[in-house]
Amino acid sequence: MSSNNSSSAPPAAVDKTIIITRFDPDKDEAPRKQEYTVPCEDNWKVLDAVNFIKDEIDPTVSHRWSCRMAVCGSCGMMVNGEPKLTCKASLNEYGDRVDIEPLANFPVVRDLVVELDGFMHKFESVKPWIKRVKEKAEDKAALHETKLTYTQSADELADFKQFSMCINCMLCYAACPVVANEPEFLGPAAIALGHRYNLDTRDEGAEERLEIFRGEGTVFSCSYANECSEVCPKNVDPAAAVNQAKFGAVIDWAKGLVLPRAPHAAD
Amino acid sequence: MAGSAHPEAMAPPKPGRTRTAPPQMPSTWWSAPRIRTYLLFDATGIIYFLVGFLAIKIVGQLAEGPGAWQAQMKALENPLYIAFHVLALASVIFVAVRFFRLFPKAQPPSIGPAKPPPGPVIHAMLYVVWLGLTALISLALAGVIL
Repeated sequence: MSSNNSSSAPPAAVDKTIIITRFDPDKDEAPRKQEYTVPCEDNWKVLDAVNFIKDEIDPTVSHRWSCRMAVCGSCGMMVNGEPKLTCKASLNEYGDRVDIEPLANFPVVRDLVVELDGFMHKFESVKPWIKRVKEKAEDKAALHETKLTYTQSADELADFKQFSMCINCMLCYAACPVVANEPEFLGPAAIALGHRYNLDTRDEGAEERLEIFRGEGTVFSCSYANECSEVCPKNVDPAAAVNQAKFGAVIDWAKGLVLPRAPHAAD
Repeated sequence: MAGSAHPEAMAPPKPGRTRTAPPQMPSTWWSAPRIRTYLLFDATGIIYFLVGFLAIKIVGQLAEGPGAWQAQMKALENPLYIAFHVLALASVIFVAVRFFRLFPKAQPPSIGPAKPPPGPVIHAMLYVVWLGLTALISLALAGVIL
């Protein structure tokens, strides 16, 4: 097999100006911008440029990253004003100046690192786990004997699978104009996750979650800007989940007016 | 056995929280095309408010008698009123097209045993209903039917 010299040559580096938002909680009054000239290679992702700055130019720059393959969801940053997974966003998509900021709608701990506490509390509030209202003794015995878990058909799985592909990268939360105006808003990620469990046939906690969804600052605060779905790197489509959850909350409310509550509620 | 890289690396966190900067709005947030489109969508609310206000005014003129009604009809021939109505029509089309695009995916995956039709079918049905109703109302207003 003949080798091609041009393909084995290192790709040419092009200087780009990378502007990083810096914030040192011990020194800075407020976040500020700092520019770095970085020799960027043709096949680099945005994260490669930030890592180059950290490794070769300024080791004080702080940022989060881990897997480098758009799975862990930890390297989300604002790139030229748009939330991006920086390990997935090619530098080629941007011009000579690339502005990298911490994710919008989050308090900033340091440089590009944001505080997740509020976001995680919102996640927790929708009870994102399978809730069984009352585990029946005979069910338990049957499960024990057969060593089966709760079964689910492929069609039932298809109803929510898309919403279970979320990697918690928080890009949707950073893109949401409602969160920007109403910081109390649960946000697309938490609602999509709650909705995912509501659609899961093994779960019996939908009534409890719909009660939460009918409250203030939840599904009805969403104005369907669809920004969350536009920026989602995994095509989870949180806007669809939020608006399906709206539908579910309205139907549940209407059912409550004309029908007695579900039997298990009275158990 | 090697010690930790920093003497406090594995120490429990100190009491109190780390000082944080408030959430930062990207400096160029307004320049993103999608955000501009969304702002335009929000701004159409002003047009609908003005259309509603105008409709109430016209009903008031109708209640005042034929003279006031004729004067109002004459006023509506003003190019400014015509331009406003063209703008209102463009707003309605813009919002309807956006709504039709986003509506199908907001449908629940199933209602009981029934599954909704595929998204493109719902999308097409919305246009058919919209255009059908528009044609019916136009024919009724033109006196062709009813």
